[in-house]
This record gives sequence, structure tokens and C-alpha cells, in this order.
Amino acid sequence: MNEQAVRPFTILVAALGGEGGGMLADWLVDAAIHEGFTVQSTSIPGVSQRTGATTYYVEIFPAPSTGRLPVMALVPSPGGIDLMAASELVEAGRAMQNAFVVADRTTLVASTHRIYATSEKMVPGDGRYAAERIISAAPQLAQRAILFDMLRLAQEAGTVINAVLFGAMAGSGVLPLSVAACEAAIGRGGKASAASLRGFRLGFAQAAGEAARPVLRSGAGAAMANVDDRVHREFPGVLHELLDRAVARLLDYQDAAYAGRFLDRVHQILAVDRETEGGADGFQLTREAARLLSLWMSYEDVIRVADLKTRGRRFARVRAEALAETGQPVVIVDYLKPGIVEVADILPPGLADPLRRWARGRPLAFALRLKTSSIAGFLSLRLLALLKPWRRKSSRFLMEEATIERWLAALKRLGYASLDRGLALEIAQCARLVRGYGETQRRGRQALEKIFTTLLENEAAAGPGPVHLKQAIRGALTAALADPDCAPPPVVASGGKDRTVVWLKAG
Amino acid sequence: MERSFKTEVDKLRLGQGQTFTGEGILAVTKALLQSGVSYVGGYQGAPVSHLMDVLADAEDVLRELGVHFEACGNEAGAAAMLGASINYPLRGAATWKSVVGTNVASDALSNLSSAGVIGGALIILGEDYGEGASIIQERSHSFALKSQMWLLDPRPNLPMIVRMVEQGFELSEASNTPVMLELRIRACHVHGSFECRDNLKPTFSRLNPIGKPAFNIARIPLPPANYSQEKHKIEVRMPEALKFIRDNKLNEFFPGELSGIGIILQGGLYNTVIRALQQLGLADVYGDSRVPLYVLNVTYPLIPDEVSRFCSAKRAVLIVEEGQPAHLEENINSILRRADINGPQVLGKDLLPMAGEYTAEVVLGGIGRFLNLALPDGVDPERVEAVLEGVVRARSRAAELLGSPVPVRPPGFCIGCPERPVFSALKLVDKEQGGIHISSDIGCHTFSTLPPFNLGNTVLGYGLSLAAAAGISPNFGKRVVTVMGDGGFWHNGLSSGVANALFRNDDGVLIIMENGYTSATGTQNLPSTPGLTAREGSPINIESTLRALGVKWLMRVDDYRVGKVADALRLALGTKVKGLKVIIADGECMLERSRRTRPIIAAKLKAGERVVRTRFGIDEDMCTGDRSCIRLSGCPALTIKENPEPLRTEPVTTINGGCVGCGLCGEAAHAAALCPSFYRSEVIQNPGWWDRIAHGLRLKVIAALAGRGRIREAQE
Repeated sequence: MNEQAVRPFTILVAALGGEGGGMLADWLVDAAIHEGFTVQSTSIPGVSQRTGATTYYVEIFPAPSTGRLPVMALVPSPGGIDLMAASELVEAGRAMQNAFVVADRTTLVASTHRIYATSEKMVPGDGRYAAERIISAAPQLAQRAILFDMLRLAQEAGTVINAVLFGAMAGSGVLPLSVAACEAAIGRGGKASAASLRGFRLGFAQAAGEAARPVLRSGAGAAMANVDDRVHREFPGVLHELLDRAVARLLDYQDAAYAGRFLDRVHQILAVDRETEGGADGFQLTREAARLLSLWMSYEDVIRVADLKTRGRRFARVRAEALAETGQPVVIVDYLKPGIVEVADILPPGLADPLRRWARGRPLAFALRLKTSSIAGFLSLRLLALLKPWRRKSSRFLMEEATIERWLAALKRLGYASLDRGLALEIAQCARLVRGYGETQRRGRQALEKIFTTLLENEAAAGPGPVHLKQAIRGALTAALADPDCAPPPVVASGGKDRTVVWLKAG
Repeated sequence: MERSFKTEVDKLRLGQGQTFTGEGILAVTKALLQSGVSYVGGYQGAPVSHLMDVLADAEDVLRELGVHFEACGNEAGAAAMLGASINYPLRGAATWKSVVGTNVASDALSNLSSAGVIGGALIILGEDYGEGASIIQERSHSFALKSQMWLLDPRPNLPMIVRMVEQGFELSEASNTPVMLELRIRACHVHGSFECRDNLKPTFSRLNPIGKPAFNIARIPLPPANYSQEKHKIEVRMPEALKFIRDNKLNEFFPGELSGIGIILQGGLYNTVIRALQQLGLADVYGDSRVPLYVLNVTYPLIPDEVSRFCSAKRAVLIVEEGQPAHLEENINSILRRADINGPQVLGKDLLPMAGEYTAEVVLGGIGRFLNLALPDGVDPERVEAVLEGVVRARSRAAELLGSPVPVRPPGFCIGCPERPVFSALKLVDKEQGGIHISSDIGCHTFSTLPPFNLGNTVLGYGLSLAAAAGISPNFGKRVVTVMGDGGFWHNGLSSGVANALFRNDDGVLIIMENGYTSATGTQNLPSTPGLTAREGSPINIESTLRALGVKWLMRVDDYRVGKVADALRLALGTKVKGLKVIIADGECMLERSRRTRPIIAAKLKAGERVVRTRFGIDEDMCTGDRSCIRLSGCPALTIKENPEPLRTEPVTTINGGCVGCGLCGEAAHAAALCPSFYRSEVIQNPGWWDRIAHGLRLKVIAALAGRGRIREAQE
């Protein structure tokens, strides 16, 4: 046995399909060969073009060839990676989870942007993995962690993320390849090499600390202008920003009187909040209830949809998103499918009720592909939006107003009676059930009605005490917000991830 | 197949002394030509697709050498092709993904190995086992045992792989037996180099045809030849094989100073074992090990006297054998017992897991436990323990810091895939009908069984979905839906599925995903692929085939029209017509389509012609975050982002720049009456004079009608 200090430099690249991970491995191999090093790469590319997570493993023996070939591994070893590169944040997390990032050896180079997995995206509401834990774990697990948003740099350079990642790997200073060799490898890559080279240099500069550190965006946007005097005169300072936003939204949605009604309602909530010593937590009850109330009061009806679809800002946004250049016309086609219910919603109750009765059992809807960028299309939506002043007389408006009053009444009554902040917050949360369109909206409304009749407006339900009631509301809310087809599939007791076959009864 | 393999084809021309640099599976391809094959057949599938793809593109090279290449109808066809080597001195090779391909091929393989060969017959198995595998996890080794075909498992470096291909043919001819060469996924894709030899023109080939038939009743599996063939395998072919393997030193002995112990391993695991020994300080960078190694580049048959020689003077031997049943371990124990060698303790599956891939961590753990059990002099058990514990600690520390496991990311349908909308429709209809039994097949469409669709109750094999419905269909009480790809249809589905369903008058619904290629294996051409090259020009068409067979109820639908697909399904499930109802879901594989259209569009743009670029979008101020759309699609481009409205705390659904404008979003929004947020945008590139005038006019009119505040916004 020959004791030798030089060992192969090990690189594991984690990427998603379509990100050019294979090309990156080829660059590494090519650069290493041109440096005169022995190199070996392997991959599991079977799923790579189909968006799954995949890895590429490269070993470089950074010593001049002696004629005898080193034995290099085809599989990465936990604890045995010198340079771990990940093209996406959760893939960096996966590498950590598999012990490919260790403090005595590994330099971690990863992009901080997220590409969400299906399991995160399909959940109603927010199913995102708590990725900030990956960012905080990285410097603790790695010898050195270099994390930044590589997707943004790739877009800046007009290239794919693999080039930026390669640049960052080179910029980390641990790669046993010269910058010239890396750039030459990219240069031999054919027609897209100029853009790749731009990406490589941006990534290199960022990782090597030559470029300015990216400034982390703070969550809050610019402070809103003082929209309504009342907000600042009548409410505690911690609520100003939120209420300004809400008032602006309602001014845009309807008018000043309507925004005023909103503030009157917030007063009533604030009174309950004060009674339960809400000042201590910055009036969390008022904040959450006011936020939800402002969304409720700006519910989406066809008037609102027509209004939003015909705004100039929207045209500009669509153009930008479609990367249209100056002088290139953009056609916008909206996919709308209003049903009888949506029509009835904007009619006064006298007309809406008979229409709804007639429509029961007739799931009529009109599938429209409306060319909003055409004169006729724009005009029809614009005319619909002009119905805004009549909204106050519409059946849906009246129904929402009545429901809001019931919600507010329950919040006040039970809030004062129990002086339990938790309970009041739970009641406020019930406003989340009013959301969406069509079937989603109908289901939410049914669930809310059930909570009203069985829990909030039922004397007997309050009997066993606020803790019990709170749990009952929470349970009903969670059940209503979870989508039925989102329920986790049953699992075989012994088989870990296997799914049981659900045998269906013969119909 | 639009992808070009020109660079790879050029490598096939390298001659004596030149260096080949590239993938393992391409090295095998080159080695076949160096061995003088007359014919090569196969069925595509990861990880051996590239062998087929490159040969399909290598027409000129093959023509010069006279080599015939055939992309076979299925693996059974590829195995049957090797029948050419039974009577004639023709070297031939076949390849497929194993174990599934070997399953399909096994009828022909049994007959082939029973008859025996006089021309070398080599089967290249892409062993799809472990990480990245997309199939059932079984080992191919058992097939070698039951049919007495020799099994090579070379050390995974290019020179060794090439040597084993060349000597595999010699072994096959020396022992009149077909030989299997097993390559794991990473070995197929390993990038390395080897020194080439000139390609060898086969003695007999299309350039020098055989001309005269050879008849030998001893090669026909009828009595009495079938009995004598079995005896011949044991009495003649096996001893010949043992002699060849021994004489040519196909297996390798690596000495080591710790002579009291040793490791016997499959050649394919050599690098992983060496890495583990390196980590434990027992091997150097060149693989010189302190522990003696016996590397089996041939894992069947074992050479009894070699095994005895390696083990006899040892206290303990570890067998590193991936997969189960533990054929090697059982065989070695039996060899030692018969030789009355009872000294060494033989360890294997007691220290290493019985099932699952032998990853670096698994092998390290097994060897570490072996050392601490055998306690050879000069190995510090505490160091071994520390190495093993280091890994465990790193893992648990990461788990602790991360809090919860990161989400899994299985493969799914590509952006713009034509199959996704079919499952959107099927999901809608499934809900309406209160649940449908869906018999699934092999192909990209098997991804329908994953979230967000969760559609598909069984998968029984390639092209077998309709056959698999035969048992459930009469017992279900409702019509059963079968999904099959065009790949599966030609592989097996036409005969064992469609013909039989018509014959016994099955009342089910069959959806055939006609995307034009075997997309899951790398978009190879099919008999029904549209627009084939002149060489492959094919008059075959699925629809006319079905009609000719007697399918009465047949509808062809455009995949992307979710509503239309759902209507067709409703009709098929509800019609009074008895018998098989077929829906052909028509939509070209998006990968191939974009490969084909990308250069055309680029050329048009360059020439200044009008080109419309389409994509979809979501109005973020209208999305309320219930994600019904995502649960009906799962498109990678349909995703979520931070909500620009601070009053909403949940993310908003969005369509990212990857969108190719396939239309599913809009169709699904309509078919399921989702929400009004979806829109399609069409950018007119190189607009004509009419486009520009109309656009200008529209902007002016819209601005005038929209009110003052809007004029400014619209013109921005």
C-alpha cells in the first residue's frame, strides 16, 4: 500500500431536470482533462429531463498523471464530499439530510431560490417547506457555505443556472481547476457558450466576493401613503400600516363610504381586543380580523374581475411577463366561465332569487375565451366594471354584509363573554372560509354556515367553556379548509411509502 | 428521434491506439464493433438507450462493416434475434433494461440457452437497480442460474468493460452458451477512457452472406433433443466455461498483507469497496489494499477451486453481494463445504443488508462491522468505529437542524406534456363517477399514479394494462378504464391486450396515449411514429390497425382539450354499446415536438417572418390560493410565489417563464370551472403592417373608452 497525500477531489452536483446538470458535469470533466488530471463522472440521468431531483458525481485526481490510474468511486460517500453544489435550496437541504455536507471537509455552493415540489404546491393555502431552516443550517453543517440567488443571475446573463453554478463553484476557490480551464471548457461548448460564459463570470464574482453582496429584501414594501385621516386619528400606531392598506384596497374596490364602514367595524373589533388586553401583543386580534375583513369586504364578483382585467397596469404586467419587446403587439385572451350563480350574484335580490331557484339543478355556465385586448372584448368587460356603483344593491353584496354582521356579532358576544383572546382569534379566522370562486366558494360558505348554526350561534355549544369551543371551531375550520382530494393517502402499516390499493365497491 | 448523436458516432470510428473518451455504454458499443459482431438488436430503456440511439444514427459505420442493427419490437424479439447464432458462426449482441426486459425476453432466452450457440451471443443488461431506478427491484442473476447463461459483472472502468465484452464473445463460443454482461446504472453512465483497437469486419454478414441453411435436430427443443440439451449444458458447456474463465483469468485476485481475512466481491462493486477501504485507511488511492480481494468479474458460474484457494487459509471472509436472493453467498458456502474447507467464517448478508442498493454508506458499514468482528492485527477498531459513527452523527445533526425531512421530488410529466391534460380530464371524470378502476401501464403516463393525480390502481408490465383489466373488468360492476401508451401498444398491448379483449368481448374503455415515440426511454421511434425517415418509412397506423381488428367504438381526441377528453370518457363510460371502447389521446411528445420546431421557429424569426409566441398567465390579484388548478395539473411551470398583496399571507399561484403555452391551464379552468385568473398571451414577433396598425388602433380606442386614468396606464 502506497501512502499518498493526494486524494481525489470529490464533487456532487444536485440539480433538477432541465437545469443543465449534465452539461455542468461535462464542463468539469473537460476542464480537468485539459488540466492534465484524471477525472471520472457518473450520473443518474434517468429522470433528469422529467423534472425530478437528480445528481451528478465527479471525482478529479488533481495530480499529474504518473501512468498508474487512481481508483475512483462511482457513488458519493456521506461525509466524503469536498464540494457540494446545489442548483436549488431544497436540493441543498437534501444533500445535508444525506450527510453530503460535513464541517471538516465540505464547501457548499447553492442557490437560494426555490422551485416548489408538487407536494408543496398542491396544498390549499401555504404548504411550503420552511426553507429558511436550510439557510440557517448551511453554515453550521458545512466547512464553508456560499449561498445566493443564482436563478436571478442566470436570468440576468440570459442563460441557464448551470453556468452560474459552475462559476460559483470556481469562485469558491476550492475547485482544483484554473479559471482559464473552466472558461475554455465552456467555450468549447458550442453555440450557447457566450451566454454561459456571462453566467459563469457573474457566479464567479459573487462567490469570490468580488460582486457586492446581494441585499436581502425586507418583507415589507414601502410605507403606504396616508390614505385616510381616520386611520391615524383613531387607531393605535401599530395598526396604521395595515389599515392604510386595507382602506386603500376598499377605496379601490368600492368607495370612501365603504372604507368608512370597514373602519367602523374595526373599531368594534378593537374594543374586544382592548377588553382582552390586546395591547400587550400589538393588537393581534384586531390585525388578523381587520386583515381578513378587508379581504372579505373586497370579495371577487364579476364586476371586480372585469375591473381588474381591464386596468392599464395589467396590460403592462402581461407584456412584461410575456417578454414582449417594444413594437410587438400582445393579444390577451381571458378564460372565463361565469355561471348562473355569478350572474345572480350581481342582480338585486328580487331578480336573483327567482333566477337561483330556476338554476337549481341546472349547472349552466358559459365558457368564454374573451379577447380582452380587442376593442369588443375590452369594452364588454369595461361595461361590466362600470356596474360598480350598483354593487351595493346586488344580492351577493347584501348577503355578504349580513354574514359579516353575524360574524362580528359572534366575535363580540363570545369575546366579551369569555374574555378569551384565543377564542376571539379563532372566530376571526372563520372569515377565511369566504374565498375563491364557484365550487370552492360554495363549499366554504356551507362550512361557515354550519359553524354559525352549530357553534357560534348555538347557546349549548358555549356551555362546556371557551377552551372546548375554541377546539371545536379550530377542528371545523381545518376540516373545511383542507381539500378532500388533498387528504394524505392511506399507508400500508409495514411498507413505509407504499400506498394501499383502495378497493372500490361495485356501483 | 430528433436528437443527433453525431459526436458519439464519430467515436465508433476510432482505430488502433487511439483513445476513446466517453460514457460506459458507448464504450460497450465500440467494443461490440471491435469484436466483429454481425448483428445487434435490442429494446430501448435506461440505462442502455444510448447504445441503441447511437447505433441507430451510425448507419454509415455499420454499412461499411456490414453490421445489421435492429431496434426490435420488444425484448423477446431482441432475444429471439440471437437465434442467428445457434446454427451459424455469427457473433450477435442484444441489449435491454433489466430485470424487466429480461422478464419479457425469458421465453426466447430459455430456448436460446438450451439449444446453445456456435456464434458468440452477448446480452448487455442495463441493471436498473437502486437510486434512479424506475422499475421493480429484482436481480437478473437468477435468470443466469436457471437457464445456465454465464453472467459477467466487470469492474466499472472502461478498459475492463471493453475487455469483458471482447472476452464475453470468446467465452460464449468456447462454451456454446449465451453470455450476459451486467452493467449498473452508474457504470453505463461513467465517463472514462480506453485505448481502442480497429473495428473488426465480421466473417459472415450482409456483405458476405451465409447462403446455405444449417439444419441440426439437436438444436430443436423437442424430445429427445430437449433432454440431451440440458445434459449438454451441465456435462460439456459448464466445464468448458470454467476452463475458459480460469485460463483467461477473468476473475482477479488482489493480494493484501492482512492475509487472515479477505473480501469476495462482485466486480461492479469494486470501486465502492475500495473507497470504503480508503476511508478506513486500508487502501491507497491506486486501490492497493491491505485486505486481500477476490473480484468476481464473472459472477456465474463461480470457479470452485478459485474460491477454495482464496478462502482456505483465512479466518474470515466477507462476501459483498448486492441484491437478493444471496446466490453468491449460498454458492460459496456450498463450494467450501463440498471441499471440506471449514476454517473460515463466511460472512455476507449477516453484516450487509439483504435487500437494496449497496451504496457507499452501506458498504462502508458492512466492511467496518466485518473488521471489528474479525479483528485483524494492525487494524484499530476504534478508528473503524469512529469512521462509521462520523456518518451517523452528520446525518442526525442535519436532521436536527432541518427540523423536518425536505419534500420529495419524484419525476413527473414535462412542461407542455400532452399526457398531463388527459389525466386532468380523467381526474374530473373519476370524481363525477365516484371512482373508477384504472389499469395503468408502463411509460411516462405511469406518473399519473403520483400526486397530484393519484390515478391508476395497478401496473403489471409493459403493454399489459389491458390484459391486466381482464380479471377486474367482469368483477367490478362498472366499466374499467385502461391506460396504455403507443409504446406499450406495440411492445405487447396489441396482441395480449387489444386482440384478446376483442376476442372475448370485454366491455372496458381503453385510452391509448399516442404521443408518437417511446418517450420514457428517450423518445425512440415506433412503428407508428409520424414522419419517419425514408429508411424507416412505415405505413403502420394505430387507428387503422384497431379498426382492422374490429374495434367499433373509437374516438380520437386532442389531448390538450380537457373538456373534449372528459366528454369522450363520459361517452365511453356511459354508452350502451358493448365491447371494447377505444379513445386515442392524440398529442405529440412535447420534448420531440420542441426539438423539431425550435430550429424552424428560430429560422423564421431570423428571416423576419411573423411568429406568434404563446404562454399562459395568472392575474395575481384574482387568485385566492385554493390551488385546485395545481391539483388538476401538476405542471412544473404552474407554481406559487410570495403574494404581492400584503393583506394576503398565503402565496399566490403563478405561471413561471417555463410555460410553453400548451393550453392546459385555460382548458382546465374551463372544464372544472376553476377561477377567472387564467389568461393566454400571444406576443406577435415580427408583426406585419396590419398587426401594427390594428394594434395601434386598438390601443387608441381602448384608451379613449377607458377613461383618463387608464390611458396613461395602457400606454406605458
